[in-house]
Amino acid sequence: SSSCSSVFCRDDRMEEPVAQEDVTFNADEVNGIVKEIVEMTLGTASYAHNKVSQWSSEILEAIIKRLTATQKPYKYVVTCSIMQKTGAGLHTASSSYWDNTTDGSTVVRWENKFLYCITAVYGLAT
Amino acid sequence: FRPAVAQEIIRDVLQKHLEGLVYNPESTVQWTREIAEDVRKQLKGEEQFDSRYKFVVQVLVGEQRGQGFKLGCRCLWDTDTDAFAEEVYTTDSFFCVVTAYGLYHY
Repeated sequence: SSSCSSVFCRDDRMEEPVAQEDVTFNADEVNGIVKEIVEMTLGTASYAHNKVSQWSSEILEAIIKRLTATQKPYKYVVTCSIMQKTGAGLHTASSSYWDNTTDGSTVVRWENKFLYCITAVYGLAT
Repeated sequence: FRPAVAQEIIRDVLQKHLEGLVYNPESTVQWTREIAEDVRKQLKGEEQFDSRYKFVVQVLVGEQRGQGFKLGCRCLWDTDTDAFAEEVYTTDSFFCVVTAYGLYHY
């Protein structure tokens, strides 16, 4: 099996060739799942420090459940950051060592008037 | 994948890159990228980790302005072989969270 390194920063995304048995990371599908779940959990909520833990857990668990249901031979890492809007800056970057033909990631940025929610999903074929 | 070893690596990289720096919107973009790449390279080079491991390194740098912030993660993996390590570096002007995940490729 071949492996090579790739650097992902914000909006970079790799084009993957369509493989047999659908062993590719379908970024669009995952994006859709994440957006739906975040919207459903946070909606128009205003930042409440005591609820953030709960929201974060709900979002993460729902995403993992949906990913598992796709029944693909993948391992997943899902991270979710929720930040209050105070004008502060936030930067994220990620770097991965994986197989470019089968693995991938997506980052979904969501916001409403009171908070930001950044959700990243990394899928690695087993 | 031993988290303690990865943690040491992350700690060293953070010290090296962020010592004495102040939050700056333009350069932070570069810092995050550099830190992520550096950690990834060092993890790959670390002999203690089997060559069949895949790594994902995530770096988050935020300005300190008293805002609330929560970072959570969930993973679907094999608990026998996979793990993650996390380090936080804080100064008066910013905070930096680095998480490194090691996943075994069978």
